Amino acid sequence: MQLFLDGIFLGSIYALFAIGFTLVFGILDRLNLAHASVFTAGALVGIEVVSRFGISIWLAIPLVLVLGALLGVLIERIAFRPLAGRHDAHFAGLISSIAFGAIILSLLQALFGADTRRFPADAFPQARFEILGATVSLLQVIILVISVSLMVVLTWLVAKSKLGRGMRTIAENPHAAAVLGLNVGRISSTTFAISSALGAVAGVLFTLNVNAAQLGIGHAVELKALAVIVVGGMGSLPGALVGGLILGLSEVLAVNYIGSSWRDMVAFGLLFLILILRPQGLFGARKTREV
Amino acid sequence: MLVEYSSLITLIALTAILAFSFYAVLIAGQLSLAQLGLASLAAFTSSLVVPDEPLFGFIPPLAVGIVFGMCVGILAAFILGLPVIRLRGVFLAIATLAFGEMVRIFLINQTWTNGAQGLGFPKLVGIEVAWIALIVVAYWFWRLSGSRMGRAFAAIREDELAATTMGINVARYRMASFVIAGAVAGLYGVLLAYFSRFADPNEFSFTAAVDGLVTAVVGGVTLFVGPLLGSVFLSVLPELQRLLGINAGWIRPTISGVLLLVVILFLPGGLSGLIPRRKSAKRLVANPALRPDLPALPAPGTELVSLQGIGKSYGGVHAVRSVDLSVQAGEVLGLIGPNGAGKTTLVNMVTGLTPPSTGTGVVLGAALTAGTKAHRLAQSGVARTFQQIKLFNRLSALENVLVGGYRITHDTLLRRLLFLPSARRFEREAVAMASAQLIRVGLGDKAANAAGDLSYGDQRRLEIARALASHPSLLVLDEPAAGMNHVEAGRLSELIRSLAADGIAVLVIEHNVRMMLATCDRIMVLNFGEVIASGKPADIARDPKVLEAYLGSAGNDADVEAASVLAAENLAEVAVELAREHEQGPDAVIGDDAEPNGAAEPEDKR
Repeated sequence: MQLFLDGIFLGSIYALFAIGFTLVFGILDRLNLAHASVFTAGALVGIEVVSRFGISIWLAIPLVLVLGALLGVLIERIAFRPLAGRHDAHFAGLISSIAFGAIILSLLQALFGADTRRFPADAFPQARFEILGATVSLLQVIILVISVSLMVVLTWLVAKSKLGRGMRTIAENPHAAAVLGLNVGRISSTTFAISSALGAVAGVLFTLNVNAAQLGIGHAVELKALAVIVVGGMGSLPGALVGGLILGLSEVLAVNYIGSSWRDMVAFGLLFLILILRPQGLFGARKTREV
Repeated sequence: MLVEYSSLITLIALTAILAFSFYAVLIAGQLSLAQLGLASLAAFTSSLVVPDEPLFGFIPPLAVGIVFGMCVGILAAFILGLPVIRLRGVFLAIATLAFGEMVRIFLINQTWTNGAQGLGFPKLVGIEVAWIALIVVAYWFWRLSGSRMGRAFAAIREDELAATTMGINVARYRMASFVIAGAVAGLYGVLLAYFSRFADPNEFSFTAAVDGLVTAVVGGVTLFVGPLLGSVFLSVLPELQRLLGINAGWIRPTISGVLLLVVILFLPGGLSGLIPRRKSAKRLVANPALRPDLPALPAPGTELVSLQGIGKSYGGVHAVRSVDLSVQAGEVLGLIGPNGAGKTTLVNMVTGLTPPSTGTGVVLGAALTAGTKAHRLAQSGVARTFQQIKLFNRLSALENVLVGGYRITHDTLLRRLLFLPSARRFEREAVAMASAQLIRVGLGDKAANAAGDLSYGDQRRLEIARALASHPSLLVLDEPAAGMNHVEAGRLSELIRSLAADGIAVLVIEHNVRMMLATCDRIMVLNFGEVIASGKPADIARDPKVLEAYLGSAGNDADVEAASVLAAENLAEVAVELAREHEQGPDAVIGDDAEPNGAAEPEDKR
């Protein structure tokens, strides 16, 4: 039972990161590799405002959310929008987002140094419960609740709201969307803002959970998140949640039964198998080519 | 100076070799991140076989390591390629990334690699070996770029489907690029290990793969020197900053990041895009004596296509139902019908792009089944154009047509590597054949223009030239006159007649009914996936069922225009009958079919 819950909690953090990742991919068909840097920025800035200015964690999280959204808008404007219409927009977007992510990381290094940083011990209530014989911290429960509710809210947003309709129209055909009078630039910016805001908050929650953050944390999670969104189906929001939980569970089980040095093999083996057997993922739709 | 920088200069060469490994897949439009995994496999396994003393007394240990490492790279790339080669774009990138990470974790958990502590290697690689290896690799890619294989890679990168219909076996070429990349990655792994005297599986990580990819992309993939330029740029940059006295840990990555961003945003072709390209492959060879000897076309009247009861359904929708079709060498068969009648689906089945759901068919001796490969049909002499133009946009017009000549030309890579005179002769033959087709469709003066920059009508003609370059027995044209004016359509009609006169069977879909009436030997009319009329153009034109189909559809301008032409024909028919009844001179009415007096719509949309 403890194993199961640990897996669920680990998975919900992966899912939180992956939801932002997959949102951009599903709607704009772009893989934003600067997402990992936004995650790191959220973690380090969160630590800074809590430890230096003594702001409560409940205020720090909205601050980080706004910071993430701003970064998202910058990423879209600087690294992606200038590439629109280029035949190699896919490759170029990967590279330009890597470059932008590297810039964010080096600026973080300038601001906070390269050392490992932590939240102050009392930043978050240390409450613990017993559920069905397993120990669970308040934080873990909150992370799970946040992941699930974000997934539900975002799915609703994309499926029902006016913004979501705009997003889906752009996903279908950006050119036609522009002809229909949709503000493609603004909707793209908004998508990136939402995605990055989630990424930044995921950074804070992740750091609270493992209680350590340094410049490299984003990359480790990014690789896992790639596995998550592929397993769940590229672009599928429920897929990202389910994929995250599957990955979290299998990692915890792998550590317990095979050994921790093989833990990452599970993520990548799973990723590889899914891509070969069912490239559209568990929840994704296959796109067809037309002549 | 050289001593002080020898390590930097060696690393430039090694980084360039790694970038070439990415370049090898990028030129075929694939993104693989497995290169570092392949390199580490090669590096660590080579430590098991490299002897301390020269093998047999004269083969240097490093040579053993290099050959072995490249073989490991090739083998591993092939085995990895078998399942992943059908993935595209981001999916291929992620699958290969996963492979790279799996290799890393596997190697870390092995005792013979010494795990995460890393393994020591003897120092066998210096500046000379690294640069000789780089020169050999660069030479290979230089000779590859102008060969038929190089053109096939470029074609696959630009448009896979169009490449398939030129007779290019896309899966095999994608695998070839994968395996070449594996060989280069293996070479890199061995050289790096025996240069740095130490290797730890964690060095061959995702970050290192991204660095290699960045080097290749910054250098650009349009020219074989790209990887070297990228490597110089990215290796010298930190060194330059150090010399300028920039020491703060964060400034260097910031500047590198900004420069990378600038290159990717403002130099789409990478650094090598700044180098003007050689023009030799863009010059026409007009001398007919240089054209290759071509096999004879089938004798006129030979049945090339024979379909019985062929049909295609998607879900419950019948795009085509039970169509019989026969095309003979030397005839022009027209296929008309309102929008959505199933014409394109039918020709997709004839060219092997879509397997039929029902019925049987034989095209140039090959049966149409679910296993029929479009490139096989193309190899046996089917060529086509597309309704939505599918040119290789970034290649010049002449290069497009050269790809079209894939079927009748020889692969010249090995000959080019050895600079054999026959390589030049074969290339000249290919260019002569391509030039003749460009001139035939009237694009002789635009040979050097990028296909994507041509006007719409010119692009249509270029597609025809590209199809003709394969010396086809059966030519399928899908709306070749779309976007052409009357004069251009008239010229196209003459061209099609002359092709048929040469003995080619031409199957043409077109909405320009007037042109079809003047061009075709026979016309078949499809509506809702069924043949509603078939016969000589004059009979089709006066068949009220055909007019009815077009009027009933009212799909788009082209349908309306077709309806008006048909209406004019029908009116003329009625007029003739009336005239006969009243025994008056009907000539005035018949001669006037340009004016569809009173027909439903204005006939000429211009």
